[in-house]
Amino acid sequence: MAPSQAAQVNLSPAELSFLRSSLSQTPPIRLDNTKGPRDFRSMVAEYDVLPSTNGSARIALDDGTEALVGVKAEVEKSLWRPNVEGRRALSIAAGDVDMTDDDKLESHDNKGKGQNSWIEISVEIPGYRDDDALPVFLASMLTESLLSSGELKDRLYINNRFHWKLGIDILLLSPPLSYPLALLSMTTHLALLTAHLPALKSEKDEDPLFDDDWDAAVPLYPKSDSSGGANVDKPPVIVLAMAVGPNIIFDPCKEELAVADAVLAIACAPSNASSTGPRIVSIRTIDPPSHLTPPAVPNAMNSATGGVAPASTAEALTQRELLSASGVWTPPRGGMKRDLIKRVSSMVVDKGGVAEEVIAALQAIEVG
Amino acid sequence: MTTAGKIVNNEIHLQSIHHQQTQPHQLHPPEHSDGEPETKKQEMPLDTSTYSLALLRLDGRRWNELRRIHAQINTQAAADGSSYLEMGNTKVLCTVTGPAEGRQAGQRGAKDNEAKVEVEIGFAGFSGLERRKRKSDKRTLEMQHTLSTAYSSLLLTHLYPHSTITLTLHILSQDGSMLAACINASTLALIDAGIPMSDYLVACTAASSATTSDSDNSDPLLDLNNLEEQELPFLTVGTLGRSDKVSVLICESRVRMERMESMLAVGIDGCKRMREILDGVVKEYGKRFS
Amino acid sequence: MPREVEISIIEREFIQNALQEGIRRDGREFDAFRPLELNFGDEYGVADVQLGKTRVIVRISVDVVAPPPERKFDGVFQIVTEFSPMASPAFEVGRPTDAEVILSRVLEKAIRRSNALDTESLCIIAGLKCFALRADVHIVDHDGGLIDASCIAVMAALQHFRRPDVIVEGEKATVLSTRERDPIPLSILHQPLSVTFSYYEEGNLFLVDADLAEEQVRQGEIIITMNRHGEICQVNKYGGAPVEPLDLLNLNNVALQKVKDISKFIQQKLDEDAKKRDAGGLMAELSAENAR
Repeated sequence: MAPSQAAQVNLSPAELSFLRSSLSQTPPIRLDNTKGPRDFRSMVAEYDVLPSTNGSARIALDDGTEALVGVKAEVEKSLWRPNVEGRRALSIAAGDVDMTDDDKLESHDNKGKGQNSWIEISVEIPGYRDDDALPVFLASMLTESLLSSGELKDRLYINNRFHWKLGIDILLLSPPLSYPLALLSMTTHLALLTAHLPALKSEKDEDPLFDDDWDAAVPLYPKSDSSGGANVDKPPVIVLAMAVGPNIIFDPCKEELAVADAVLAIACAPSNASSTGPRIVSIRTIDPPSHLTPPAVPNAMNSATGGVAPASTAEALTQRELLSASGVWTPPRGGMKRDLIKRVSSMVVDKGGVAEEVIAALQAIEVG
Repeated sequence: MTTAGKIVNNEIHLQSIHHQQTQPHQLHPPEHSDGEPETKKQEMPLDTSTYSLALLRLDGRRWNELRRIHAQINTQAAADGSSYLEMGNTKVLCTVTGPAEGRQAGQRGAKDNEAKVEVEIGFAGFSGLERRKRKSDKRTLEMQHTLSTAYSSLLLTHLYPHSTITLTLHILSQDGSMLAACINASTLALIDAGIPMSDYLVACTAASSATTSDSDNSDPLLDLNNLEEQELPFLTVGTLGRSDKVSVLICESRVRMERMESMLAVGIDGCKRMREILDGVVKEYGKRFS
Repeated sequence: MPREVEISIIEREFIQNALQEGIRRDGREFDAFRPLELNFGDEYGVADVQLGKTRVIVRISVDVVAPPPERKFDGVFQIVTEFSPMASPAFEVGRPTDAEVILSRVLEKAIRRSNALDTESLCIIAGLKCFALRADVHIVDHDGGLIDASCIAVMAALQHFRRPDVIVEGEKATVLSTRERDPIPLSILHQPLSVTFSYYEEGNLFLVDADLAEEQVRQGEIIITMNRHGEICQVNKYGGAPVEPLDLLNLNNVALQKVKDISKFIQQKLDEDAKKRDAGGLMAELSAENAR
């Protein structure tokens, strides 16, 4: 059990105020002043670290947070799935292509045959129990983005009776120094990108038989260079962005999060068409720790410095509203404006945007 | 015929029964040579006079060989102390937090005048042959209890009253000797964290192989892998540094009491070698600062 | 959360000094158990063990269930430990302490994993029906030596227990009540018993069956479980001060002697109980005379 204070920030109201004002400048001055608003923390990444898994990766950020992901695939018997029938009935009803012929169905690609339950993600964070809010939320966020593209689960289909069950175990090896979502997502991305499944030797509905030769294994995510690269699926990656005043800052560290107005987690997957940028597969707002920071007491409200303490909480609130620009730390309140979400998303997914950079960087690790 | 290990006047005598002249390289584990022990099964010497001790094990090791041991210290930048240890295919990562103010200082039976040692062991889902979630079952709790009591008496906890030292162990790959690997990794991580302790606590497993039904004549084996653990009665022994003194001893299988002596002797001998290896890792790391 | 009352410094020093002079608090020998009492209940499979002030009651119950699919030819055997708050203020219901975890783990390893009970004999119809045996261990009074007392109680109860007989016809099994046919004893393969050694003086002084105060002063414990044939079922030394390996081996011999004594004691009590139940013997049952 790691000490719980790792999750909180121990900054005084004055420090918070200073940090906020420097982050609100144009251009913002970040805690690490060598970095611009769109720069990520530098990282050390490696893949194929665990020989007993189908794919694995380890990423260490320069602030010491480190994550390890192992992807393990096991053959599992499929349950009888009524939705295959249901889907067929639907397509007939819609006057679609007639697919009553069983063989024809099988010879088709595996589209739509995947099940959400074939992918299981578990997140382990030291000091947290399995059922604590943070690991559960992180796991569901990662699962959600991974399932949304739909293509991955279809690739786990072997035949009518068997399928691959993909277990993704995500371990945070260090205490959660900053909000670990982006790190975990990047590590998972790299592990999935480099994961391989043994090549299938059996045909159709036979009991599956696989090639013993690991060199013949097929990558879970097909490589782009083989087929011209037009239609390749890639695992999603989650980018964390925060808003402070007029600025939008990516990959915030723990202290920066403590002064955020709002935090967004955006999961992006590379788009199918090479002409456009990545697409957003899911988006979530995250409650920043700044909401919980204690407010500063301005001189005017402090009887010790000659001010007058407000008589009621309502009075205190109105006085605080007036002070908002004065540099006295007041925890940010409220949510995100729609305009802000739009700005953040366009910065992420635009051609040459942040998401593309991240995906390209992770791709480069595998190639290099 | 004698057993291979003897404890006489508290001195461990390991004697090879059949070849009195043991090759010096044979007594040294293969990690001093380069690479893994040969996995290919070699031609079994069928000469029965040398068979019982020249017997090669499943992975080609001899009876008194350790597996390849690879250890690193200070692997995690964010932790107060950390280590990574491989014993063959068993891989463990350990981080130490503290001494720090505990979440429940002074509670849960902790004494006020000394630090409390908390241990958390997590089996990664991908660590076994099959993916399985194993969290806080009785076996894990017992391992945590073992580590915590062993280190509570080893560390100079009275130097850190009202505080907690937290050991977090991630098991990345399981192939036998789990408890021993956890102990060795924890020792390294605690050294990295700079928490004073009286000596290295090192551990090893030893088994007794029943080549014949005759209980007097069984070969002890050192450092078991998973297959051997499932087949043979074995024990985990943890000793304190250079001394022969036993700090941890866990035996979970049914075994004749006469076999205990040779198992213990081989295990303690293995611990001594383990200490040399871990000491080498620490000294190598220390050179960076000289 | 309640805590065990810590022993006072004066008491601690008194015990230590007395031990240095070779005297135990209650005047026992170093290698002597406290007076052991074993009583059986009216029902089969209830054993009440008193070891000094420590008291453990074990009750065996049986049920017919479907066996787990991975072990079709086995019955089910379970040991459940419960620390009642009645035994010590430090125990709380629903929150297992370290001691409770260790006790249940030790019993599990000593009795279940060492195959003391032949679980295959609990199978009625392979894959369909089997007996599920459950041993409930209730700690009623805690004054140290819980593991030893619990182990004695579980083994005595298992040997005392009689399960109902069954008739199997094809896929149909009928469990016969005790009135219809005499219940049959379990098939016990061997009798593991635990001896806990507490040590003091940096591992130079070993005590058998320490009471609670002695347990609180000790530097460590070694739990040895073995049967009277000299087979070790488990050895547990969870840390604590280190001891010489030779001492460990010597403890095995001491443990063997103790286990032999206790085994004999249990057997004697079982015989007495059997005699009591069988009052008058077969002849009394067969005779036409009755108490009227």
